Amino acid sequence: MGVEHKRITSALLRELRTSLVEHRDKELGSIYFGGGTPSLANPRDIAEIIETANSLVPLAKDAEITLESNPTSAEVRKMQEFKHAGVTRYSIGVQTLNDQTLQRMGRLHTGAEGLAAVDRARSLFPGKVTFDMIFGFEGQTLDRWRQELETALCHADGHISVYQLTVEPGTPLFRDRNAQRVVLPNGDLQAQMYESAVELCASKGFRHYEVSSYAASTESESVHNKGYWQGRQWIGIGPSAHSRFVDPRSGKRISSVRLPDIQRWAQMCESIGHGTAKLDTVSEAEAKQEAVVFGLRMLDGLTNSQFAGVSNGQILEEYLRMDQVRQYVDYGYLLYGGGRLAPTERGLQVIDSILVEIVP
Amino acid sequence: MLQTRMAAATLVTRRASLICRYGSVFVSQQRHASRATSNRQDVDISTYPPERIRNFSIIAHIDHGKSTLADRLLELTGVISKTGKNKQVLDKLKVERERGITVKAQSASMFYEYQGQQYLMNLIDTPGHVDFSYEVSRSLAACQGTILLVDAAQGIQAQTVANFYLAFGEGLEVIPMLNKVDLPTAEPERAAQQIESTFEIDSSRILHMSAKTGLGVDQVLPAIIESTPPPSGSIDRPFKALLFDTWYDKYVGVVSLMAIKDGCIKKGDRIVSSHSQTKYEVSEVGIMYPEPTPTTSLQVGQVGYITCNMKSIAEAHVGDTFYKEKQPVDPLPGFVPAKSMVFAGVFPIDADEFNRLDESIQKLTLNDSSVSVHKETSAALGQGWRLGFLGTLHMDVFRQRLEEEYDTNVLITAPTVPYQIKFRDGTTKYIRTPADFPDAHTMQETVEATMEPYVAATAIFPEQYLGQMLELCTMRRGEVQNHTFIDESRVLLKCRLPMAEIVTDFFDQLKSKSQGFASFDYEEAGYEASDLVKMEVLLNNEPVDALAAVMHRSNVVTMGRDIAKRLKEVIRRQLFDIIIQTAANGKIVARETVKQLRKNVTAKCYGGDITRKMKLLNKQKEGKKKMKKFGKVELPQEAFLSIMTAKK
Repeated sequence: MGVEHKRITSALLRELRTSLVEHRDKELGSIYFGGGTPSLANPRDIAEIIETANSLVPLAKDAEITLESNPTSAEVRKMQEFKHAGVTRYSIGVQTLNDQTLQRMGRLHTGAEGLAAVDRARSLFPGKVTFDMIFGFEGQTLDRWRQELETALCHADGHISVYQLTVEPGTPLFRDRNAQRVVLPNGDLQAQMYESAVELCASKGFRHYEVSSYAASTESESVHNKGYWQGRQWIGIGPSAHSRFVDPRSGKRISSVRLPDIQRWAQMCESIGHGTAKLDTVSEAEAKQEAVVFGLRMLDGLTNSQFAGVSNGQILEEYLRMDQVRQYVDYGYLLYGGGRLAPTERGLQVIDSILVEIVP
Repeated sequence: MLQTRMAAATLVTRRASLICRYGSVFVSQQRHASRATSNRQDVDISTYPPERIRNFSIIAHIDHGKSTLADRLLELTGVISKTGKNKQVLDKLKVERERGITVKAQSASMFYEYQGQQYLMNLIDTPGHVDFSYEVSRSLAACQGTILLVDAAQGIQAQTVANFYLAFGEGLEVIPMLNKVDLPTAEPERAAQQIESTFEIDSSRILHMSAKTGLGVDQVLPAIIESTPPPSGSIDRPFKALLFDTWYDKYVGVVSLMAIKDGCIKKGDRIVSSHSQTKYEVSEVGIMYPEPTPTTSLQVGQVGYITCNMKSIAEAHVGDTFYKEKQPVDPLPGFVPAKSMVFAGVFPIDADEFNRLDESIQKLTLNDSSVSVHKETSAALGQGWRLGFLGTLHMDVFRQRLEEEYDTNVLITAPTVPYQIKFRDGTTKYIRTPADFPDAHTMQETVEATMEPYVAATAIFPEQYLGQMLELCTMRRGEVQNHTFIDESRVLLKCRLPMAEIVTDFFDQLKSKSQGFASFDYEEAGYEASDLVKMEVLLNNEPVDALAAVMHRSNVVTMGRDIAKRLKEVIRRQLFDIIIQTAANGKIVARETVKQLRKNVTAKCYGGDITRKMKLLNKQKEGKKKMKKFGKVELPQEAFLSIMTAKK
């Protein structure tokens, strides 16, 4: 791993420098180490990345620096070093407490190890630990899910993410499901599991602030993720990473993605300083659509002033298909008033059906 | 592929001997190609008086060898040759036959020497399918004799019987012949016995042959000359001709096949249609030899083609009588304008395909005047047509050609039959679409009876299936009239059935219940009063006109339940409950509910997911535009199509 590792880190740093150098007038609100298993990285490299970033775009005083980790013992052992390197928040991929399911998923940890990792992280990063739980596995019953989540919540810190199992095309699970080798819980059971998550998290004092995100307090909400949903600017570094930022020269909103193949990406970073595969302008129409689609994933919804950031003065009432909005308000799916559009819990649960109708 | 309900295997064999007028555009192009190279000097056939002319046809059940025998006769008389440049023609005939198109050139004139005399032998082809019995009868009316060809292995089949009665009805001399006697499975004595007992023809008169090997074929023409009377009529009487077949050629327009009953005709003459009274000027006359070959004239007793300035095939009515301008004659009997028996709604799947479909339908009907075309608008499906066909095969071939040759995606609604309303004041009205069905008030006040068309059907099958066949008949609201044994193991069953029961899967059922052994034929048999109702479909109490259907009361519950179930499967869950109901005469017969959607939200949406999520959203929006909406209930296109298409 040695040489490769050094090469990748160098490429990351190069790309980081090239990308951030244009935004020196800004402040860095958060850094997120994710995609793959960043906790397999060398803490010293993590430190170097944080320092390099800071040198170009100064970190905010309480900047959130998150590292994703799997709860294997090897990774748990490095937590202290990562703290030393500058990481301020930990995201642990617990996924499920069911050992059989973990095995089937190809994970290298047990349910007990998952919880232990969360406990350990809590001691090092108090109030700054989050972990992922997934529901909707083959053979999972509603009762078992509820028990599992309740157990997990006992170990939870300030934040937890609860996802429905998503079947991605091209994966073994996708093929298995299509061939009917695997039968997943049906739509109504999934709905019940989701509703259980909302209920159980609420009972433990977690606020359901986004579709899959629950926080014990506003401070525990994920700063980085909110950046996505509230249309902030973010730079992605590394293969397949996405970016959204305003080009300081043109003033246009840009969306870009890096090359997916790690070798090609590294080569490109070495030759021209970054491995961007594709770069597009985000039109006003697109930006407005995104603002609504992502804003409505949060229970706080979207305000006119937030919308104004991309709408060139247009307010929500002028943009949205208001006849549909009013209908959904009547159904109890949306709340609209005081310059704010927000989903109710019920509305959030079927928000994808609603978005298609209210967005022009 | 959207399929109307026909047993596919049967379709193939039936089409093998169907004269497909749709094929003739293709053929006429070939014809024209060879025309350029053939001898342009007009042939003089005025030397053939009626005594030395024989007009005959070959009638047979499908695959009993009609085409092969025709080929043999054409070869025998040198009209086509097995080798040389005509080999192409012969081969192509076979290819086209396999494709289901019987070449028009089979209506052919042959010259034959017999006992020192030169004879003009006209072989007149007949469409081979039950749907075209009227065309068959008119083609037979052009003849004086017919070969009744029976497969020595299969024996008499339903169409053998049906065609025999048609020929008999026209007063033709029927000459029975057994084909395929070379087959190891052939049982000529048995088949001959069947013929004798069914048709009361002396079995000793029956010729044995094998069209394939040529055995006995040389006896055919002599038998025809000896047994078939020459055409009657006089050269001195005013011109009178029977139009019995027609096709459209893109170079010369409509070409008509006529049998000259009296007088003579030549280029430049002006003729009049008895039916429409339209006048035409003759531009060419000739015989099919086998290509159109011009002659100086056509005379009494002869059969040939006439080209005039007829522009559209709709002007050519099979069975019509033609005479010379200012010399009217009594029209020949038996003329009936084409009657549609099966109707289907035809709509483009995409509204913007309308013009293309319009063109395609026009092109196809260019060569098929028996398809009736009415423009129709459906609340749900937009602009389209209601087409009338002679039968389900006719409809299915049309649909396939539409899709295959014109590459149009088309929605065909379930086939319907023309119901009739009889009013108290004596007037009648046809119901072609459910929207025509009178509402409750009108029914009560002004309607005397609702009527449905019936058919007289014949089925032939091995006796062990008699029970099943009888059951099938009664299950389909049929009335068995009689059944007889045509030989020691096969039964001929005659029954009367509502036509509505035939147009869906009756034929498939017949075949499957008889392990494929049953053969079937039917003809129109008038209308009878019937307890008809209109079944409505409601979605959250809004009626869906496009799904309404008229049917016999006894079918309402089954159909109603079936449609409700099918809709439940294809309607996607929405943000409110959807209640599906089917109703007839104001009463609900079936109900299903599609419960509201409980969850529809993407679990993860982070930076890398944004682009994909937005693409998906916009794709869904596009999809929504294609959704048909009934009140607030959405129905995606494909789902809707699958309901509308002829089912089962």
